[in-house]
Amino acid sequence: MSAAILEINDLRLSFKGHAGQTDVLHGISLKIAPEERVGLVGESGSGKSVTARAVLGLIQSLGSARISGDIMFDGENLASIPPSRRDGLLGTRISMIFQDPTSSLNPVFQIGAQFHEVLKRVEPGISFKETRSRVNSILSKVSIPEPERVLKSFPFQLSGGMNQRVMIAMALVNLPSLLIADEPGSALDVTVQDQTLRLMRKLVDERRTSVLFISHNLGVVREFTERIYVIYRGRIVEEGLTEAIFREPRHPYTRALMAAVPRITRSGIPEVEDDPELFQAPREVHEVGGVS
Amino acid sequence: MKRALAIVGSNPMSLLGISLISIVMLSALLADFIAPFPSHRGTVVDFTNFNQPPHWPNVMGTDLVGRDLLSRIMYAYRISLLLGAVVLALAVPVGVTVGLMAGYLGGWVQSVLMRTTDVFLSIPPLVLAMSIMGVLEPTLLNGMMAVTVMWWPWYSRLVCNITLAEREEGYVVAAEVIGASKFHIMFREILPNCFPAILTKMTLDLGFVILIASSLSFLGLGVQPPTPDLGSMVAEGANYLPDSWWLTVFPGLAILVAVFGFNLLGDTLREILGTDQ
Repeated sequence: MSAAILEINDLRLSFKGHAGQTDVLHGISLKIAPEERVGLVGESGSGKSVTARAVLGLIQSLGSARISGDIMFDGENLASIPPSRRDGLLGTRISMIFQDPTSSLNPVFQIGAQFHEVLKRVEPGISFKETRSRVNSILSKVSIPEPERVLKSFPFQLSGGMNQRVMIAMALVNLPSLLIADEPGSALDVTVQDQTLRLMRKLVDERRTSVLFISHNLGVVREFTERIYVIYRGRIVEEGLTEAIFREPRHPYTRALMAAVPRITRSGIPEVEDDPELFQAPREVHEVGGVS
Repeated sequence: MKRALAIVGSNPMSLLGISLISIVMLSALLADFIAPFPSHRGTVVDFTNFNQPPHWPNVMGTDLVGRDLLSRIMYAYRISLLLGAVVLALAVPVGVTVGLMAGYLGGWVQSVLMRTTDVFLSIPPLVLAMSIMGVLEPTLLNGMMAVTVMWWPWYSRLVCNITLAEREEGYVVAAEVIGASKFHIMFREILPNCFPAILTKMTLDLGFVILIASSLSFLGLGVQPPTPDLGSMVAEGANYLPDSWWLTVFPGLAILVAVFGFNLLGDTLREILGTDQ
């Protein structure tokens, strides 16, 4: 395997509050190779989104956060380069998709204008006409039938699924090397989610983008990713190829997580053992493949 | 646009507001052409026709030196509207910038800025303006300054509150994530979302600025004679109540029409723009 596009080494994060220090991440390490789709799976509050936000530098600006560890992006340490340099990478080489597409778009601007802003990150002098032709082509790739109409629409005039596709197109229009998807489409219903994820997968394949895919939805993660890290209470508890983990989950927490998925069988909501002590078992690594 | 017309058309109060404001605006703009006695805006003395109740051609009567009240009210509207426009043109940008910075940057910036505005807001507006005017010369320019100083904190507070809510919105985080600068996020992302509220407040405030400016000149601290001003006309006539009632009633009604009109217009805008504060 070639050098990793994103490599997080021993990322520790804690928040200082009135009651003292709260540890959130206890040494997260993960690697994403170029063109690889990696999942980060865990329950609410396990530290998935915080990890993503640390990569983007959103946590560092909070006064109460204490952070240590390295976040290497393509040979540069995002944790130590000056913020202006980091801001230059964001939106051009790293981009992000959020959970709720509709609120991620500014309600008072037309979609076209917002695309224009995004494209200006890379080409400051880009004309609106050039924007339109560029956006038309990428919007048609995410199966938006009338790109011209969408460009003139405001976000609230489009459905959630349309907005999600617009967000995907917007995140990928600058050909980033890394896409961080934080529970994309969790706010959408299942069929729309499925459709947009297919489009997203096609597009990242085509553009050779690496993806860090954050989700609690195991089904979606299984379809979308090649490798998985399972995170529990700020620790990686299991890592390995997606297929290997789903075939043979080794860590007690991973097993519990998989058992927790309700099935369409009328057997009721599954009873899941919740044993924090057991879940603190050491990390399980599936050795087959992956970045070493 | 269609929706706006529908709202205006279905609401008689909106129509009333728009007509009142049109009358005020037109009489101020066209005073030179439609005022019965344009020269009466200045120092004209006509002792053959002084202190007369309404009669033709002085439909609102004449003042103590024989000047036509209707003409003077039309010219007074000019001063009032000019004052309102200048005050808002100065106070709104300052207040909005302070509010955006306080709301978006947060932390100690917010504490310092918002506590400063609290200091301004804690002083009764008329007292603050009076003390400023008392120290400085009572002229139109100083009047504008005094009212501006007491007006901007309201916009800071309004915009700060909207910004606090908007900065948690996904699109702000999304803009941060693609590396947009703080300046860009404040002025290009959040500010456009504040426009409806600001616009509505400005319309409402135009009336209140006129009212406060009239109060100042009623106390003799505003526009100085012979320039016609609604507040000083009311003050002048108040000494001769109730006998020469027209001296007070017509300028007073003129203030009422302007303030009421702007209020109705503000309510209409609030409905059209969907801002409920």
